[in-house]
Amino acid sequence: MMSNYVCDRSSAAGPVKGEPVRITIKYYLAIFAAALLLAPFIFHGTAQAVVPDPTEQLRPFLDKIVAELKSEEFKQDPSCLQCQRIIDIASEHFDFHEMSKRVLGKQWRTLSQQQKDQFVTLFTRLLQYAYIGKVDDYVDKKIEFDKQRIKGNRAEVQTHLVDTNKTIPVSYIMILKGDKWMAYDIIVEGVSLVRNYMEQFRSILRDEKFSGLIDRLENKILELENEKNQQEATVGEGTPTSDAG
Amino acid sequence: MIFTMKATFRLFIVCVCLFIATVTLVPPAVSMATDDGATDFLDDEFYDSEPMSVEVGDPLESFNRAMFRFNDFNYTWVFNPVATGYSHIVPVDIRGSVGNFFYNLQEPLRFINSILQGRLSDAGTVLVRFVVNTTGGVAGLGDPAGRELGFKAIDASLGETLGVWGIGDGFYLVVPFYGPTTLRDFSGDMVDGLALSPYYYWADGWEEIAAIYLGKELNKMSLYLGEYEDMKQMSFDPYIALRNGYFQYRKKIRDHNIPLYDE
Repeated sequence: MMSNYVCDRSSAAGPVKGEPVRITIKYYLAIFAAALLLAPFIFHGTAQAVVPDPTEQLRPFLDKIVAELKSEEFKQDPSCLQCQRIIDIASEHFDFHEMSKRVLGKQWRTLSQQQKDQFVTLFTRLLQYAYIGKVDDYVDKKIEFDKQRIKGNRAEVQTHLVDTNKTIPVSYIMILKGDKWMAYDIIVEGVSLVRNYMEQFRSILRDEKFSGLIDRLENKILELENEKNQQEATVGEGTPTSDAG
Repeated sequence: MIFTMKATFRLFIVCVCLFIATVTLVPPAVSMATDDGATDFLDDEFYDSEPMSVEVGDPLESFNRAMFRFNDFNYTWVFNPVATGYSHIVPVDIRGSVGNFFYNLQEPLRFINSILQGRLSDAGTVLVRFVVNTTGGVAGLGDPAGRELGFKAIDASLGETLGVWGIGDGFYLVVPFYGPTTLRDFSGDMVDGLALSPYYYWADGWEEIAAIYLGKELNKMSLYLGEYEDMKQMSFDPYIALRNGYFQYRKKIRDHNIPLYDE
């Protein structure tokens, strides 16, 4: 539209005598403007072709995590020394920073860099217990990949966690960083994990401020750690007695 | 027989009264615009928008929290142990069939509600499901329509119909032995569930109606053991986590045209 407009004006100026040089410049300008306007469309086409496939990145990544969770090494690890390794693998395609940013919503911008880092670290550890702690959930279930959709630099990959009697839809919401799709939200049965924590954190932030939220996070992580240790302790005690019996 | 009819009829009247009260008392939908808007997780606006519970409102929060604790207590100490025991005795495929059976008996209701909401193709799907599952699925014990023919289950309730007609949610409500809902949806469910579900016509009075309801719910719980505990364990305020989860889930099951086919 713009370029047409420029062309029209220059052609209208055409019949005016004694100004041939200006017309040429105007034509050049018109072509230049047209090129500028068209460039995004031309590059958009090529950029689309380069965008990596989110499902193709997610599939091997989830396989890798499940394999790691199922490994004997991990199972016989009472103090969770392997946990850091799981987090390292998870960090390949989970963007805990993007996740934390969204969980805190508008509050995020008011935090200092140090506070942001502190929150990201704690929130990552919380999620570690939320998902790594639930190993059993994945062992006898199958992950099936369904549709995906891409919108700009965001993508949604839909999967199904298939059990013997039920199927749970789980969607991964991802952002393209470089050539890697990084997940920043998980939608289970339509419920966004980020949104769910967001609403809980909102009231804590309102009543207890940021320091209160950090305390709550630390307490929750401790609580989950203790629970995990207790479970292992009972399992550990259970084995020798059954051997003796 | 006469007693049965009387009890059921009385119940029906109660439900209709509750229903009429809601329709007349609840102000028209304030949150209609947002209620209808499809959720797009790929849009950052989604993460900036207000949660549904803020829009619907929770003026009875202290009452609801008390009811939440009551339900939580009952679930933890009564229903969960019973459902766990039941899950050990009855194999999972039978429990699945029992669930299908109850679900199938409510398909005519979903058919009516789909039509009332103007979702004619969904109404067709529900009708096919009912016919196929009642005959080929042996009185609804199996779900061949969904599993083999690809007619997936579709949700349509009176609560949603009322929403489509412009009746607001009223407010968030936690009902004992029932769980999270809103005033509008609860009255809709009472009519849907109690007054119009065929299985309650077998009942000889209140006790049996309660027994059928509890049996149906226990069977359902036995298929989702541990999920509530996980939710509670991972949350900082289980009351808010459940409220938020309820609204998000409801929005999903009522979003009948989720855009999935971009690729």
